[in-house]
Amino acid sequence: MKWLKRIFDKSEKHFSGSGKLAKAHALFDATKTVFFHPLRRTAFIPFLRDCLDLKRYMTFVLISLVPVTIFGIYNTGYRAGLGSGVELDLLDSFLHGSYYVIPIILVSYVVGLFWEILFAGIRKHKISEGFLVTGLLFPLTLPATIPLWQVALGISFGVIIGKEVFGGTGRNILNPALTARAFVYFSYPVSMSGEIWIPNLGAVDGMSGATPLAVAAQGNQSILAALSDMGFALKNLFWGFVPGSIGETSVFCIVLGMFFLLVTRIANFRIIAGGIAGLIFTAIVFYLFGEDPGSWIKAGPLYHLFAGSFLFGITFMATDPVSAPGTNEARWIFGFLIGFFTVTIRVANPAFVEGTMLAILFMNVFAPLLDHMVVKYKVSKRIPNV
Amino acid sequence: MEKVNIFKGFKTRLKGEPDLSIIKLPKPSTIAVSALDIPFIRPRILVKDGDKVKIGSPLFYDKQNPDIQYLCPGAGVVQKIVFGARRRLHEVVVQLFEKEYHVEFESLTKKALGTADTQKIIDILIKGGLWQCLRRLPARDTADPKIQPPLIIVCLNENDMFAPHPGLYLENETSFFELGLSLLRKISKRVVVAARKNHLEKLAPLNTNITHVIPDLYPAWNPGAILFHIKKTADENNAWYVTGQHLLLMVKLILTGHYPIERIATVSRENDKKPHLLIRQGMPVKSLAPSLGKNDLITSGMFSGRIIAPDSHMGFFENTLNILKIKNEEEFLGFIRPGTAKTTVSNTFLSCLFDKPGQADCDTHGEERACINCACCHRICPNDLMPNFIMKALHGDDLEDALDMGLLDCCNCGLCSYTCPCKIELAHIFQDAMNAYHKDKE
Repeated sequence: MKWLKRIFDKSEKHFSGSGKLAKAHALFDATKTVFFHPLRRTAFIPFLRDCLDLKRYMTFVLISLVPVTIFGIYNTGYRAGLGSGVELDLLDSFLHGSYYVIPIILVSYVVGLFWEILFAGIRKHKISEGFLVTGLLFPLTLPATIPLWQVALGISFGVIIGKEVFGGTGRNILNPALTARAFVYFSYPVSMSGEIWIPNLGAVDGMSGATPLAVAAQGNQSILAALSDMGFALKNLFWGFVPGSIGETSVFCIVLGMFFLLVTRIANFRIIAGGIAGLIFTAIVFYLFGEDPGSWIKAGPLYHLFAGSFLFGITFMATDPVSAPGTNEARWIFGFLIGFFTVTIRVANPAFVEGTMLAILFMNVFAPLLDHMVVKYKVSKRIPNV
Repeated sequence: MEKVNIFKGFKTRLKGEPDLSIIKLPKPSTIAVSALDIPFIRPRILVKDGDKVKIGSPLFYDKQNPDIQYLCPGAGVVQKIVFGARRRLHEVVVQLFEKEYHVEFESLTKKALGTADTQKIIDILIKGGLWQCLRRLPARDTADPKIQPPLIIVCLNENDMFAPHPGLYLENETSFFELGLSLLRKISKRVVVAARKNHLEKLAPLNTNITHVIPDLYPAWNPGAILFHIKKTADENNAWYVTGQHLLLMVKLILTGHYPIERIATVSRENDKKPHLLIRQGMPVKSLAPSLGKNDLITSGMFSGRIIAPDSHMGFFENTLNILKIKNEEEFLGFIRPGTAKTTVSNTFLSCLFDKPGQADCDTHGEERACINCACCHRICPNDLMPNFIMKALHGDDLEDALDMGLLDCCNCGLCSYTCPCKIELAHIFQDAMNAYHKDKE
């Protein structure tokens, strides 16, 4: 790879000091350090350091997102085929899905990166790797039918207001990807809810574009029967052959990613375990004490777990270390309350069919408070040393 | 023997563990007393170039406490006094004579040592230049002879992973060691002797003297870590500590009346199994590690030592040299390689699947970023601190908060900086803050 190194070494002078392209130094630096891991000698104790750095840390989140992204592309193509009345095979579904999904991902990365470079250039910082994750997570939370200009607007809001105004990755309060989604969700509700989940919708009669959480039973039918009728049996939800946001549908692929994040300890298991426990607990409470058999109150914990974006959110969004608490005890509480609020918003709030996004954002705001309480408690247990 | 439960720490094995044989190094031509490893010292130099000195002649003292002198470990003529930036004393170098003479200090017989009163022993130690072996936590400054400490911790292992094995320097020295303990018991009511679990076998003759057994993971043998796990009240925070080797030196000084100059030291280097070395205090680094290249960084402890210049000398408190490789080759796509040979405490490299000793080099393996609150530092801190929160409190100039969260319980093991994926210099920040607080308090 010496030729590549030579190209970087030769062009470095244009990007630094008084070079013509000095303003784009952050971009140059980011590109160079991707190819050639930077060297920096330790100056202070300890003189040896762990090989894990933030680049690898964030790259591992991207790797964990590969299964959901690939399945998301396939499922979008397959659904689009069904919407047009044809059953596409694997390759065709994939190609067709790419036609919808790849532009969304590209727009998200290009526009987001533009802001990153701009802020890094002005601040004379390096581009933080956190953006790599935000740039992919955000498109995966969108419907495939979203107009691209809304994607651009959303990611701009997420990067600027969600992150850069606080000082960049590491200093943000809210998860930037979810901030971006919340912006799009509340600004353009038509693009984000209703019968929008299947591209080419409308060509075939009887093809619903609603997500499972939007299902409500008619008459005396129970919610489970209604879900089953609409093709939302537990099996379909598990494998993910249902309409929904690009990345949220397949429980199987999410669990693959979750497994990877847990084994590598990039994601904290306490948040995920706490979240699932909170969701199951709340779902059972509603199931036992709720009365309306036709609504999601009576859906039970498994449907709550498998339907919608809860698993996606708790695996990839809630475990974002920056916006989650930093103490173990607070992480349990944080996760549990996300599960609790998700179900509560789903069944008790008529305005929103899905609650994960709001639950996570809500708990993001409270994460510093949870940390503060845990730290204060721990301090009170210490033998003082002053 | 009480078991100290320390669960968190550095469990990975590293390459370069020294062999358990001992070789004696030949007499060097120069010897020096370094001021760089002495905590908080403001030295006043007592000699000038060309002065003749004996073994035990004072070379400089600490202006804050003129009684604490640093004595010459060899007889000869003062060759040069090395100063660094802002005229900071680095070392006083002495060219050795063929035949060396000692300064005679007051000595006691074994029996007299048993009955001597505490003040007398303290006086001998101070005059003999070995009182400074006793250091006080948490700042690790020289112990104050006027104060009675709540407890004294005898650390059989010095700070580094590859520090001299206590089984070697205590071999055939059991009676001296026991005398040393009785001496410490005169100074403090409680003396704790802590030994690593897998050293117990080699320390069998001493087993009755060992009060605490510590697990075999770095930095469980650090006095700060031991104290944190055995203390019950806040009074014990100002415990003193002394290393096993220094305790033996103290006893030898009292029994012989001569300043003891021999120590056992180790040199560790990747892919090398070097023996333990019998050296003199203040030997030149080059005589310990002759084959140094320009890609070697020499430290007196890879986690908590200092960088040592190749043409300087060993310090008073230093018995370990770690030679770390300097990396010169930028790795192509380094951030995504499987990494079967990378040293890590994370689970993100394939090397974590095998129990192979890891490589050590002195690269940070990444660039500094803002803290992402991953709490990797908390996961490894032996004293259960929350370095990420303490660092943020210090950044906000909130020293009170940092102290509340246990800044002074930090044992300077360096593991928080080691593990940080954002490459934040946590240990350095804490050390600076602790030193500033100590100076402020004095």
